Amino acid sequence: MIKVSSNLAARVKDTEGFNAGACFHCGTCTALCPLGYEMLPRKLFREVMLGLEEKVRARIPQIFSCLLCRMCEKNCPSEVHIADNIRTLRCLINRQEFGLK
Amino acid sequence: MAHKRRIGVYVCHCGGNISDHVNVKEVAKTLADEAEVEITRTHLFACSDASQQEMIDEIKERNLDGLVIASCSPKLHLFTFRAMAERAGLNPYQYVHVNIREQCSWAHTGDKVGATEKGIHITRAGVAKCALTNSLTPFRLETQPRVMVIGAGVAGLRAAISLADMGLSVFVIERGNEPGGWAAQVGRMGPDDRYGPDIVANLLEQIRKQENIVLFTNAELTAKTGHIGDFNATVRLHGKEDVSLNVGAFIVTTGFTPYEPRDGEYGWGLPGVVTLKDFRQMLEAAGGGRLTHNGIPVRDVGFIYCVGSRQTQSDTCPEPNTHCSRFCCMATTFSASLLHEFEKKSGQTINQYHLYRDVRTYGRLETVYSKARADGALFLRWDPTEPPRVERCDGRLAIKVKDTLLGNEELEIDADLVVLATGMTPRKNDTLKNVLKVTESKDGFYKEIHIKLRPVETAIDGVFIAGTAQGPKNLAESVASSLAAVAKAGGRLKRGFVDLEPLIAKIDTGKCVWCDECLKACPYGAIERVVCGDKEVAMVIESSCKGEGGCVPVCAQNAIDIEGYRNEQILAMIDASQKELVTA
Ligand SMILES: Cc1cc2nc3c(=O)[nH]c(=O)nc-3n(C[C@H](O)[C@H](O)[C@H](O)COP(=O)(O)OP(=O)(O)OC[C@H]3O[C@@H](n4cnc5c(N)ncnc54)[C@H](O)[C@@H]3O)c2cc1C
Ligand code: SF4
Ligand code: SF4
Ligand code: SF4
Repeated sequence: MIKVSSNLAARVKDTEGFNAGACFHCGTCTALCPLGYEMLPRKLFREVMLGLEEKVRARIPQIFSCLLCRMCEKNCPSEVHIADNIRTLRCLINRQEFGLK
Repeated sequence: MAHKRRIGVYVCHCGGNISDHVNVKEVAKTLADEAEVEITRTHLFACSDASQQEMIDEIKERNLDGLVIASCSPKLHLFTFRAMAERAGLNPYQYVHVNIREQCSWAHTGDKVGATEKGIHITRAGVAKCALTNSLTPFRLETQPRVMVIGAGVAGLRAAISLADMGLSVFVIERGNEPGGWAAQVGRMGPDDRYGPDIVANLLEQIRKQENIVLFTNAELTAKTGHIGDFNATVRLHGKEDVSLNVGAFIVTTGFTPYEPRDGEYGWGLPGVVTLKDFRQMLEAAGGGRLTHNGIPVRDVGFIYCVGSRQTQSDTCPEPNTHCSRFCCMATTFSASLLHEFEKKSGQTINQYHLYRDVRTYGRLETVYSKARADGALFLRWDPTEPPRVERCDGRLAIKVKDTLLGNEELEIDADLVVLATGMTPRKNDTLKNVLKVTESKDGFYKEIHIKLRPVETAIDGVFIAGTAQGPKNLAESVASSLAAVAKAGGRLKRGFVDLEPLIAKIDTGKCVWCDECLKACPYGAIERVVCGDKEVAMVIESSCKGEGGCVPVCAQNAIDIEGYRNEQILAMIDASQKELVTA
């Protein structure tokens, strides 16, 4: 059982451009990602929105290996800014985990 | 026996629907040997215009005085062929319909020999009945240009206005203190964000302006006699005073009752677990201030969808509501945007979690769902085999749910409020049910004649159903259905007359000794005692008799016959169907 927390979500909510709420889980992005990571990006965003911080922390290597090729984003039917979302997350993680400003 | 009849027998292939499993040529050939049969033929589609024309020509040419068509269910084409008989100059009641599709081909698929034999037996019975038919004429009765609308929700109010616009007088009877139904109580409504009480106020304003609408509140229908076009209705006002109203038709718009969860179902009974309607009232009451529950500001809200809808049978739920309630996905996703709007206006941070099975915001309602997501509502999908559990935990509520979108990860959501999107269930209405005798579908809502083609008519002629009384609908759908009922009821009454079936009871006053058994057996109150010469006898009120036949077997004198189903006809049918088959 994992506890849902709104803290991470609240931080992300305040960030301009993070729009994963529109995602309706069609799985197009998962299928198209050349890195073939099962989790990127729809599950990751969900974990962020639900505030499952432990889970997100465990995904750091994947978050940073995204190519930002936008294959997913071009094909997303809900117009989720997937690549920008990833960059937003990188930003947050840099600040929080690695103490970068 | 009277003169020998000249009967035409036509056997239909129904494309292959019949002929794939019944040898129609064999049926036609065998029937040609019956004494009163003048001609037999087969048709690929007897109902097609071309086939009907051929039959009409033949009836005229050969001067036929009886017609039997062995084809589909009489529900489908009895009236088609009666009308055809009439065009051929034959009395429509000298036509007999035999169903060899549902009763032979479809019931005995794969057994061609058996299905064919049965087809011959029942077609012979049809011919025997036809040989004893009389020429009958429907009764033409005047109709009253008045309608009673039962239930003053939006569906009923909208119907009343349109009926009045057609020039008919309307009595609207509402059981409650106030008209308006649920729309008057739920506040802002999706998809277009109209205020329910305003919609109702607007309809009531239009009603006030119409001279030919009378609205009664605290009123209930307690008795009904008569027939389409001319009913006498007794309405009880405030539970005591009775008024009698004469109307030509009824439109039943008695609405629905929201599902009442079982104790403990999704935490029902715990403080903070509320229905969508309660929640909307809390939100409206909060206005621009703070949304609190028990004095504590609300921060996390969980919504659970499909409560009381789409159920499957289990020990805890022996009589499941299997239907989808149609409105709740839209009403709940619409509430998400209302909550978001409140959050922005009040500055109070509120997280919302929507726990759904499937989101059914069909058609343009999709925009409501899209907006909810854009407004930050989070959607988690659960599987019906593992529904979410709601528990009390450290003074708050804890929802445990397996999110299928995270691969069934089990999550725990702390919440201050859990809102249950309860579905629609049929309204309990025993008095009305007994008075109107309208049947119910399996789901308990009023039953229409045909879900696709006749959605607002019922088996009781002159009684129409509309809105959520017929089944779950949102507001727009309820109104569309009520206007359909207006068209059907208005269409019947504006003609000024109705033709009633002459297939009713006939009493042989010579045999009758007035024992009153038939009076007791008739569920329609169609038997009266009259004095005839020097004795008392039973008489049939022709406009009330439905030809139901309850009186026939109880009459010890055998004095009663139902036209079209006379005892001698039934006996002849039994004899004919028993005749042995000589197969080649
Ligand atoms: C919480 C909630 C939110 C909703 N939100 C939306 C929304 O956003 N958008 C939307 O389109 N729809 C919404 N709906 C659905 C909408 O309210 C219904 O579709 C609509 O009100 C149905 O109208 P009706 O006239 O069929 O029935 P009702 O509103 O149920 O009216 C029936 C009337 O008949 C009366 N009655 C019952 N029995 C008798 C009797 N025997 N004799 C005389 N009178 C009788 C009742 O007292 C009542 O006044 C919502 C419903 C709920 C509960
Ligand atoms: S942008 Fe990142 S997540 Fe999207 S397809 Fe490319 S590598 Fe995969
Ligand atoms: S393609 Fe877009 S809508 Fe589909 S799962 Fe990925 S992010 Fe969600
Ligand atoms: S409309 Fe939605 S919430 Fe309501 S019963 Fe249907 S699927 Fe469930």
